[in-house]
Amino acid sequence: MPSVTIDGRKYEFEGHPRLLQFCLDHGIEVPHFCYHPSMSVPANCRQCLVDIGAPVRSRATGELERTEDGEPVIRYFPKLQTSCSHTLADGQVVHTSRSSDKVARAQQDNLELMLINHPLDCPICDQAGMCPLQIQAYKYGPEGSRFEFRKTHKPKKVKLGPHVVLDAERCINCTRCTRFTDEISRSHQLTIIDRGVKNYPLTPPGLVFDDPYSMNVIDLCPVGALTSADFRFQARIWEMSSTPSIITASAKGSNCYYWVRDNLILRVTPRPNPEVNDFWLPDEDRLAYRCFNEDRPGGPEIREDGARQGATWEAACARAAELLSAAGLRSVFLASALATVEDNYLLMALARMTGGTVAGYLPHIAPGHGDGWLRTDERAPNGEGCRRLGLGPADVDALNEQIAKGEYDVLYVLEDDPVAAGLSELGAVSVILHYHNTTNRTLSLADVALPAATAAETIGTFVNVDGRAQRVVPAKAIRGAHRTLMMHMGLSRADRHGTPFDRWHNESHLINCKPSWELLPAVAGAMGHRMDYPGPRQIMDEVSSTVPAFGGATHKAMGLAGVKLPEV
Amino acid sequence: MADFIKNPVVALPDRDPAPHFSEEELIFTAEEKVRIARWVAQYPTPDGAVMWTLWLAQEKFGFLPPEVLRLVAAELGIPYAQVYGVATFYTQYFKEKKGRYVLDVCTCFSCQFTGGYDVLHYLEKKLGVHAGETTPDGCFTIQEVECLGACGSAPMLQVSNGPYVYCLTPAKIDALLDALKAGRMPGFTSVTLPQDEDEMGGNRRTDADASISYSTMPIAEQTR
Repeated sequence: MPSVTIDGRKYEFEGHPRLLQFCLDHGIEVPHFCYHPSMSVPANCRQCLVDIGAPVRSRATGELERTEDGEPVIRYFPKLQTSCSHTLADGQVVHTSRSSDKVARAQQDNLELMLINHPLDCPICDQAGMCPLQIQAYKYGPEGSRFEFRKTHKPKKVKLGPHVVLDAERCINCTRCTRFTDEISRSHQLTIIDRGVKNYPLTPPGLVFDDPYSMNVIDLCPVGALTSADFRFQARIWEMSSTPSIITASAKGSNCYYWVRDNLILRVTPRPNPEVNDFWLPDEDRLAYRCFNEDRPGGPEIREDGARQGATWEAACARAAELLSAAGLRSVFLASALATVEDNYLLMALARMTGGTVAGYLPHIAPGHGDGWLRTDERAPNGEGCRRLGLGPADVDALNEQIAKGEYDVLYVLEDDPVAAGLSELGAVSVILHYHNTTNRTLSLADVALPAATAAETIGTFVNVDGRAQRVVPAKAIRGAHRTLMMHMGLSRADRHGTPFDRWHNESHLINCKPSWELLPAVAGAMGHRMDYPGPRQIMDEVSSTVPAFGGATHKAMGLAGVKLPEV
Repeated sequence: MADFIKNPVVALPDRDPAPHFSEEELIFTAEEKVRIARWVAQYPTPDGAVMWTLWLAQEKFGFLPPEVLRLVAAELGIPYAQVYGVATFYTQYFKEKKGRYVLDVCTCFSCQFTGGYDVLHYLEKKLGVHAGETTPDGCFTIQEVECLGACGSAPMLQVSNGPYVYCLTPAKIDALLDALKAGRMPGFTSVTLPQDEDEMGGNRRTDADASISYSTMPIAEQTR
């Protein structure tokens, strides 16, 4: 097998890997800015320079020339090479900055050059703290600058489009953003304009950067030149925790990080997963986080004398149990494409216990919305999960008719909004509602309103349109210590920000809600039925072993990357 | 350039300028389309022909406002942003309306040493506008440019991205301006080398309208 020696250590390789990617794959750090594994390699930042040598072959015989010790003679390239664009060949010898002063000096000088016209406004820059330029300038850069003249100043606040703001003087012209619009999203809306010290990326006159994937350039930008109009100046990186989770605004289940400070989600960034979203997220998914922060309920409520009034969790669950017991077989349950597999599974179990009917889930379909990539027609995260549990889309018209005819006494709604879905004839039934937001239009009709934890606060499984089961973990805390949630939060957030165990922990913005996998057993318990699960992990263990469509989908197997479910 | 060094601030281009040309004006004729198609055929991808086509558009429209760039992009079938990037990279593509004649005065090292700034200041004074500006009658634009590669016959200037005028003196500038006002572009002048004087009548080029021989350069005012 061909091999290459990097910094004195031998590595074997197959095929034709590029040197920089090979180094990154083997944990060898090589500083770089413009290289991105998903895009073309322009080699224009010149930061990944290395010294490369190749064994010398005799022209006459084609044999390797050897020294007196029998070692192959190595002839080095006359100049340093960019490792990003170099394809490895057998026997080559590579020196990074760790083993070559020449490389270290070249990288240092390159950073000095890059920083000449960089404003160094890190104290007010959104990127500070996770900025490749900042990190690499500290690690590989010079102590100071020899440039003692006035820096070039460029436009500081240019709105490129609805979601992206440009700070031109921070730009190092790596062209990642323009390559993204040219090669990945193909909107061709950005270009590098002008030349020399004056250049920076911009949209041509009359064009707005309204690409539905525009915000990906913010993550791609290795400096703070492209910033989010939504998140700009909201928080410093080190004040937030990031939790690996998935997007719940679409059926694609793109992998993401939720960035949280003081129990408020402040931004959403993509988490690479080659099986789902690669490195990208649509703008709409990033901006859908407000539902986790805003219009959240104050606590459980029950209807007394015609008006909803605050109640304890026990009283609310007892009232729900009372209504269900009284209704007996005349109860109807609505599952939800917005709720996890575990919660829907427990709802079905509750329906079996009471003898009620499960009417399916409310479909959230916006025809024509999808683009065949990361945006989908289905605007709910778990439609596929419901279908795999044997639930179909609810027939709203038929249900309206049945309720109008008085066939049911109780409607039990799991984390959805039937009124908004067109279920208008709810006057005759008692409504038990698990809900996320106070904007839920069914809330005003609810007899028992149970605030449910959202995907950012609960643990559970969602199945995306392609049949991939993925897990969400709590990104923010809810009111009241919950052992399972707290444990998962500690596990999922390496930094432990926001948990009671660290100094950033803060009691503000805690929502008085409970995950449905805790509420449904509580209602069942109040009715005298046993629904005994320590947590969603055990529920999912049961689902994966009893429902063939979920074969293998345990929490452990899903991990952070998810698991592909069997075809059904 | 000098202003940029004293005050290095890059201005944001007008992001939504009013169009200069109407829809009816913004067309390539059938004959121009044939020429463009021939350029496109020379390259593996159509974007190879972008510089030729921009040059054609500049000759046709005088300058390259965004609507002309869009026309070029549409004709070549390449992104408008890419055309804009190319057009802004090269200084000889005019993004704003210029005078009928653009006088690019070289003030790079050799010309500066032999009086490039003297030429520039003489022109500024004579035409009453500063470098980068256009005379009120729309006849001349003066620009200060970097090296045009004619150091051997400095100081020099270029007229409208076209012919060079070498070994400038005030009298020569006056004559040039008068000729341009009368609508006569200077022809292509070949500068001969001393060693060629004896043979070929000093002119190596058969296509040159005129030739001048090498002479010792003047020395700039400020260095005298």
